[in-house]
Amino acid sequence: MNFELIPFASGLMQKHAVSEIVKCNDYTEQFGLSLTREQAVELVNTRSLSLRDNGRIEFGGGATQKIIKEFCDSPYLYTQNYAATLHELIETFYYYKNETLDLISDDDLIKFMKSAFDGVCQGSIDLLSNRELYRLAKNLRFGLPADYSEDSFTEDEGDDDE
Amino acid sequence: MNNGLDKIRVIERAELSEENYFKSLLAQAHSKDLLGDDDIERLQYECLTLLAYKTERYNSGDSSSIRVEKAVSIMDSNLFTIGLWLKTYKDPDYAAAVLRKASINDLYQKGRKRIDELVSVTKAVHKKLLGELIQTQNEFYRLTIEDGINGFFKLYYADFAAQEIHISADYPEYNPIPKFEGIEFMNAYVNALYFENEFCRNFSAEDIHHLLCGYAEDYRSLLINIYELVLTAALGCTIAGTDTRRLDINDTGKEYLRHIFSIMPYSEIVITIRQAAKELTCRFRCQSGLARYIQNSLPLIAGKIETAAREHTLDRIFFTPDFPENKPKIIFSYGEKMDDEQYRKIINEIAQCRVSQDKIAIIKQHIHSLADLEDILLDADLTTGETASVLSVLNLAEIAALLKRYPLMPQIDMIDLREEEQLLRKNLYSFIRRLSQEQQKAIVKASAAIEEA
Repeated sequence: MNFELIPFASGLMQKHAVSEIVKCNDYTEQFGLSLTREQAVELVNTRSLSLRDNGRIEFGGGATQKIIKEFCDSPYLYTQNYAATLHELIETFYYYKNETLDLISDDDLIKFMKSAFDGVCQGSIDLLSNRELYRLAKNLRFGLPADYSEDSFTEDEGDDDE
Repeated sequence: MNNGLDKIRVIERAELSEENYFKSLLAQAHSKDLLGDDDIERLQYECLTLLAYKTERYNSGDSSSIRVEKAVSIMDSNLFTIGLWLKTYKDPDYAAAVLRKASINDLYQKGRKRIDELVSVTKAVHKKLLGELIQTQNEFYRLTIEDGINGFFKLYYADFAAQEIHISADYPEYNPIPKFEGIEFMNAYVNALYFENEFCRNFSAEDIHHLLCGYAEDYRSLLINIYELVLTAALGCTIAGTDTRRLDINDTGKEYLRHIFSIMPYSEIVITIRQAAKELTCRFRCQSGLARYIQNSLPLIAGKIETAAREHTLDRIFFTPDFPENKPKIIFSYGEKMDDEQYRKIINEIAQCRVSQDKIAIIKQHIHSLADLEDILLDADLTTGETASVLSVLNLAEIAALLKRYPLMPQIDMIDLREEEQLLRKNLYSFIRRLSQEQQKAIVKASAAIEEA
């Protein structure tokens, strides 16, 4: 009698997740972006791998649809890098769900990622992951405000000295 | 009408696991064709749907994913809840038939209600138990029953961790409880302790205290089952015809028990103590629940008596009460401590000595109280040989007084002590070990009897 969660859950939920991702095209096409069925399958595979690597489990389409709908109007996304960026965003998202100890909701984390991606990171996933999200996770773990930055504090001190 | 015939069952209750009842029932029902592949697939899918729903509730809708270990724990909680409901069907075949028709969600809701009922019932029994708790100096008894079990109710989370016990139930119950989990375990545990306490209430707290002192004088810090000792003593008194109410098996009674049990096979021992238990339950007007609990304890006690009779150690089964308060006490004064300034001078003087004889001479000349000597032994940085020389000057009573202050303790507990104290203890024990057996016994006895003035 198999009640092992991961193989059981991923097998049953896979098909459902692919169709939900494809459905997102209805919304994203207005921004000139869409995914083929093969690309959707690949995204679901990336999601499954990320979930497995980060020791998590998800039911339904989950966060992938939310990421697609949030990021589709980004000025840094275009047809050629759309799918590849989504893969990286999905991996980053699940990694930081763990790093933030689940202290931030899916919606808030995705909004933070979008705002940083379009803003200070100027479309760089490396900056988003290694600087902005790293700082966010650290702040949340230490009970500091999400936007707290040690750099800004030292800069202020430096200004005073001058 | 009971025609004496048992119904033939496809699934035997004994084949099912108490911990994983639902899973084992599914496995058995599937292997014995009571459930088909389609049924199993439907049940698995419904379990997953229930898990998805519970996960969403757990995350308060904030997160669509969850850590695997938490999801496994929630799944275990769900399966435990369903299993708890399925256990209410006495016949596992019928439970399997229910599984074929009912939805998992429906079974879960029924299980959840069952948990609520069990929580209420267990809380009520626990409250009654607390109100009637026997007075004992055993630390674990009240600590477990009051703080431990209250802690369980505080932490128990039936929605997402129904299978968790959260606390370690330190105080051991006598009759073994099957491998239950969650509230099912706590219910059985509280009931067991209630019956055990109920039985012990037939005796006065002092008599129980004296009996336990007969078992071990330091029973306060021992993880022992009080009921076992009280019931065994009561049975022994009943069989030997001594004072059952006082739990007092005198030497004649013990001799009688030794005589009869040494020639009895196990089956006869069981019959004898069953008869004694019957007399006890009638005499104390025990309720049927308690009488049943006592009956279930008897095979364990009979087994211990049989082994002890074979090994000639019945003394470790039937105890004579001990009265430590009646033992002679030695009031010992460690004396006044000298002035700090003077003490510092002596320590400096000892530190400057090059040979041991000079150090000993200074100690003999200036130290006149055991309190000061104790400090010197700790602070003067003496070698093992020098300490032995100082100790050899003392009489046995003074050595016993030092042993009272620095009693023998396991190596592991010594780790917490400061280095000087560890060294003093080691030197003291090795000095005592070199004395004759008689002197050693006298020191240990005197040390136990010493009370500080």
